Amino acid sequence: MLKLVSNGIRSGFRSLRLPVGDPFAVAGLAIYATFLLAAIFADYIAPFDPTEILYSKDFTLAADLPPGTDGHILGTTSLGRDIFSQIVFGTRSALLVGASAAFMVALIGSIVGLLSGYFGGWVDIVLMRLADIAFGIPFLPFVIVLAAFLEPSIWNVVFAMALVLWRDTARVIRSQVLTLRSRGYVEAARVCGSSDLKIIWRHITPNILPLSFLYGSIAIGWAILTEASISFLGFGDPEAISWGYMLQDAFASQALSRQAYYWFVPPGVAIILVVSAGFFISRGYEAILFPKLDR
Amino acid sequence: MTDTLLSFKDVEIVYKVGNMSIRATTGASFDVPRGAIVGLVGESGCGKTTLARAVTRVIADNAHIAHGQILFDGIDLVSLSDRDMNALRWRDIAFIPQSAMNSLDPVYTVEYQLHEVLRGRGGLSRIDARKRSKELFELVGIETNRLSDFPHQFSGGMRQRVAIALALALNPKLIIADEPVTALDVIVQRQILDQLRDLQQKLGISVILVTHDISVVAYICDRTVVMYAGQVMESSDTRAVLNEPYHPYTMGLKNAFPDIKSAGTGLLTPIEGSPPDLANPPPGCRFAPRCPFAEAICRAENPQPREIQPQHIVACHRSQEALQLRTEASKYETWQQIP
Amino acid sequence: MTQFKAAGGRFLQLLLVLWAVITILFLLFRLMPGSPMAAYIDPTFTVEQQQALMAQFGLDKPLWSQYLSYLGNLLQGEMGQSFRYKTPVSDRIWALLPNTLILTFTSLIIAYAFGILAGAYLAWRRGSMVEKLSLPAVLTTRAMPEFWLGMVLLAIFSFWLGWFPAGGTRTPGTDYTGFWDLYTSGDFIAHLTLPAATLAIYSQGLPLLLMRSNMLDVMKEDFVTMARVKGLSNWTVVVRHAARNALLPVMTSFAISVGYQLQGNVVVETVFSWPGLGRELVTAVAASDYPLAQGAFLMIAVVVILMNLIADLLYTFLDPRVSHA
Repeated sequence: MLKLVSNGIRSGFRSLRLPVGDPFAVAGLAIYATFLLAAIFADYIAPFDPTEILYSKDFTLAADLPPGTDGHILGTTSLGRDIFSQIVFGTRSALLVGASAAFMVALIGSIVGLLSGYFGGWVDIVLMRLADIAFGIPFLPFVIVLAAFLEPSIWNVVFAMALVLWRDTARVIRSQVLTLRSRGYVEAARVCGSSDLKIIWRHITPNILPLSFLYGSIAIGWAILTEASISFLGFGDPEAISWGYMLQDAFASQALSRQAYYWFVPPGVAIILVVSAGFFISRGYEAILFPKLDR
Repeated sequence: MTDTLLSFKDVEIVYKVGNMSIRATTGASFDVPRGAIVGLVGESGCGKTTLARAVTRVIADNAHIAHGQILFDGIDLVSLSDRDMNALRWRDIAFIPQSAMNSLDPVYTVEYQLHEVLRGRGGLSRIDARKRSKELFELVGIETNRLSDFPHQFSGGMRQRVAIALALALNPKLIIADEPVTALDVIVQRQILDQLRDLQQKLGISVILVTHDISVVAYICDRTVVMYAGQVMESSDTRAVLNEPYHPYTMGLKNAFPDIKSAGTGLLTPIEGSPPDLANPPPGCRFAPRCPFAEAICRAENPQPREIQPQHIVACHRSQEALQLRTEASKYETWQQIP
Repeated sequence: MTQFKAAGGRFLQLLLVLWAVITILFLLFRLMPGSPMAAYIDPTFTVEQQQALMAQFGLDKPLWSQYLSYLGNLLQGEMGQSFRYKTPVSDRIWALLPNTLILTFTSLIIAYAFGILAGAYLAWRRGSMVEKLSLPAVLTTRAMPEFWLGMVLLAIFSFWLGWFPAGGTRTPGTDYTGFWDLYTSGDFIAHLTLPAATLAIYSQGLPLLLMRSNMLDVMKEDFVTMARVKGLSNWTVVVRHAARNALLPVMTSFAISVGYQLQGNVVVETVFSWPGLGRELVTAVAASDYPLAQGAFLMIAVVVILMNLIADLLYTFLDPRVSHA
């Protein structure tokens, strides 16, 4: 009976084309789920306000407390803020940036790839030259310049990624569309007089969707890493608590020379977990997409 | 009295797929006489390539020779140490693959790949290897100035000649040719086959020619071994097999192919159905489910190979009635009434 | 011969991309809200003084004329004056470029040497325990923020163990007479170790994973099986045939990695106070020194574009199927 239920769930996931067969992918999904819950219930999980400057019972600044003192699970920063609470709230900006950037990159990349591959001709030439140009733009410097000019906000990273990183997805989707287009059933639909829109929607889009997901899940990691870098360099939103901001704070506050590992190790580990979860899931997708690789 | 070079004795090769064991061949026995071309014919997946490849002992990672012997000049290759086996490879047993395109390394010139074998395996000096390479190219009729070309610069037929030259490099006793002409068009096929036979006769080499095409067998082979679902169904002189087949499968196979000599006058008759699942073969004769002549015993008991004429071996319960079955089998309707 | 023609075409394309990036860069810096000089104009300046300053940097002319003179200057290798240092941007850029290139190439060469060997080994040991444990570990190194890895190494090996200096390219007070004198000194190498290690650890994943998956693909090729049938030695089969073929795309990726690495340098150079282009870009942007920021950005972009071209050409010349078509 239990097996039946689990099989049912399993096939439910299958129809969503989630890669549940791969143990890594399952681990990745589990990590995502954990962080998602942390982001949603951050107010309940975090014992302190992450931006509040805390004082000890004797009314001195609760600065640089080692982990475990006075209910500070991971200790406090030099300004007397609770590190654990910052980690929990940092989940929000990480997932927000990651998910929206991934969505933008996958969406723009897929649309460009579809149009370029399906219509060919001058549409293809123009779009692919644009992709060449996007490949010529050094991404991180571009984000830095953009973030410096615009109002500090976590959306700068999303914006910059949408402007530049669609290129990788677009190229891959394009070549996939090119092979799909020459398949028998697409040819047949065309001969039967189906409209371009209908062919794209009915026959091509469903087949490139897993590929879009693959590039989307990789883009989540990229976005989080980029946001962390930008915040670390001081071009982030000082209002938003993010893991990159925490690392900048620690770096600027000499946490390294003071061996305050409890301060700068946890944000890094959190980033690694979320980003590698994306990789693990994308590996699962790869197994679905390229079954010949076996693993 | 023919002298036997290679002899398969009751060879069983097993593939492990997941936790299933698939017997690619069972009880396969036949001989390869010295200086003869033996055709190994059957549908794809019947185990013919696996069996032929087993002679080199380079088989898939998940496959192993579970039973039987492969005697080469009296030595059992199955129980030979890896080191001794490797010493025989290419010096005595060479191979011509189906697609020379894929079996030549794309990043090296053809000459490099000849030298690799001549110097690395044959122990020739650089100068001798160069001389021998030229000799080999002349032998297979390619201009020697093309030695420095890369594989992709040759046409399909030329590449197959290169593959033959490679196989001949160390004067082997035996060449295994795995569908050597399947990828080529009919005219080139014939040229390559003619050349293969010329060289084989001139140099006195034995050849195992693996093919699904019975017309290729008819054209070039001295002896023919018919395989079905991992078992040898019939083996004899090619003429005997084609003109006086004793096994219904051979009869059916003959009907299903156009004759290479008399350009297709008769109707082509396919054998209905498909080969059995080797993971779960039928209890009796493996051909019984597709055989128009199958009787109760055929479905119950797997027939043992018997020598029905000198050098003519058949595995069929009804081989005694062959004369009558042949007449029946030549009719189109016969093959339409399989249960 | 055709590959030379193709190379010519690719070169034209490079010029187009370069022009487009230069233009985007120009527009990015001119069309952004606020005067580019805002940070350097003292509120006590009179209007005349402000205009004189604007004129000095050519900011009083219409946009298209600024664009043309910008392009003209670039063609002569002229990138304007730094607001902050009041010296030519090009001088500064050329002085910093070697530091960045040395860091990039040192780390990448180490990363590729390791990645190729380890990738080939893991392909060979496919399905083993080593492989099962290594792959997640490698993926994890790809998931690390480079600057964080740098911070951890810095905390451990510099601040705690005291094995390596914490930043810069040389110990303050030391003096070097010439270019080679500095770059071959033990002091420089000690300074280079941690940042190069950081980048190498981050970068080895790509060649490793690429090499591994290519090897697995190539090992299934007929010509590898044939090499075994020929009785060639294991070494010849694995190295001469499988690895040689699998290496092709990995070599191509080296050039692309140089481009990516240059972007990653921006943060790692900051962590280790490494005086390179990336760190200069960050400080210039933070200090609103736009000519300098623009120059650093452009230099990075040029290397990225150049490396993309080299990657293409490398493939064309290394693969006989393309070069001998």
